[in-house]
Amino acid sequence: MIQEAQQLRIKGIRDGLLITTSSEGSFAELCAQLRAELQQKGAFFQGSRVALQVEARPLNKAQILQLQRLFIEYNLELWAILADNAETRTIARDLDLAIRLAGSQTDLDGNVLAHLPESSGNGHAPAHQQSDAQVLMLRETLRSGRSILHDGHVVIMGDVNAGAEIIAGGDVLVWGRLRGLVHAGAMGDDTAVICALDLNPTQLRIADQIAIAPHEAGRTPYPEQASIKNGQIIAERWKSGN
Amino acid sequence: MSGKVITVTSGKGGVGKTTVTANLATALAMRGRKVVALDADIGLRNLDIVLGLENRIVYDLVDVVEGRCRLRQAMIKDKRHQELYLIPAAQTRDKSAVSPSDMVLVCNELRQEMDYIIIDSPAGIERGFRNAIAATDHVLIVTNPEVSAVRDADRIIGLIEAEEKGPACLIVNRVKPAMVSRGEMLSIEDIIDILAIQLVGVIPEDEHILIGSNQGTPVAMNGSNGASASQAFRNIAGRLEGEDVPFMELKAKISFLDRLSSLFN
Repeated sequence: MIQEAQQLRIKGIRDGLLITTSSEGSFAELCAQLRAELQQKGAFFQGSRVALQVEARPLNKAQILQLQRLFIEYNLELWAILADNAETRTIARDLDLAIRLAGSQTDLDGNVLAHLPESSGNGHAPAHQQSDAQVLMLRETLRSGRSILHDGHVVIMGDVNAGAEIIAGGDVLVWGRLRGLVHAGAMGDDTAVICALDLNPTQLRIADQIAIAPHEAGRTPYPEQASIKNGQIIAERWKSGN
Repeated sequence: MSGKVITVTSGKGGVGKTTVTANLATALAMRGRKVVALDADIGLRNLDIVLGLENRIVYDLVDVVEGRCRLRQAMIKDKRHQELYLIPAAQTRDKSAVSPSDMVLVCNELRQEMDYIIIDSPAGIERGFRNAIAATDHVLIVTNPEVSAVRDADRIIGLIEAEEKGPACLIVNRVKPAMVSRGEMLSIEDIIDILAIQLVGVIPEDEHILIGSNQGTPVAMNGSNGASASQAFRNIAGRLEGEDVPFMELKAKISFLDRLSSLFN
């Protein structure tokens, strides 16, 4: 398992997931690794767009199509292949796949905003208690259609507009107005919290609980924190010393 | 000389992209600029109708891209103005007939001789939209004061920012001042609050816009008829040219009954 974890890294990036693979091992082994990883975390990743970094591994058309089918099986969309091999890039481009991450805050050397902790075969450990769970910090407003997926905590300095969503393994803090959908503790951590300067979401989820905020028009916004209390999500006005 | 490419888009359909494109192109041409309006809505072309040039189409954008004619041959001159041209979309093809790189080539050629290239984008966020923004320098987002249109505008603005084509500017179309003053319609402030982009125009709901579109005479050409909408489009043209044009005050005509009911509420 430890060996596999080194060969496959999954990171949450601006436009979905970046899966980095090593060029060692056979294609069949790569598929098996991907399958094992997706099997484990599939529900968490569901619906994401995937960029696959294959480094120097050459891939032919049939192999890329096979990968595409594999991702579709887990309800993921393969949209980019990042390859060092020029021939692989040409094939990917002919299949209408992207071959670089345009407009992304990620560079190809792997300097990404955030990465998921190495899988240790225990995908359901609450991110909250993992000291190595990283914080993803974004200084921008998330507009409708943006989706942020991250294993650790998420901090947004800006608004989260209606139609945008954040799915985090840990806590979610919005230094701005929260009007979209947030799922904190998405891997089962029911101690996760969601905070916002103006908590006015379409829907809140913590672990397996779902709450719809009462819509109060024309209220004066104040900071709130939502957490699970007595089995349901409660939003409370933030006060110092909380 | 290097012209400016402006794309008019919205995400949601039916908010007035084509009307805005036609009127803006007209208003800029009336200021003496060389303008070409380009319909990127391949398969669902409308801009020709709104500009009243439908019956003069011989070649279209797809003919240019596929090399059946020269660019100049597809440019239909609007004889009511000095320098206003239309490049129509093909009606019998679909969005895949043109690629983003085709659009860049066409626009770069147009830039040589035109001051403004105004692109009418199709609704949606797929290939047609990608085509429409491929070569753009400046994006105008059209929205209506309704929640669904604003939501789609927000999505589009996000996509434009991701493509590094921003910052986009906003035009709010079909504003009914009376409904806004009664609190039944999103106000301009509400919309700006959500979208957080610069406003360049507010167009009041005006039946003359529809009449003009049906007759192929954009309302921007009118002097007295539909004066406020006509003025609104001409103001946007001025702002695009860097003038500091104050926004018109859209005053609601409050009827006696409304006043009475507001007294009791």
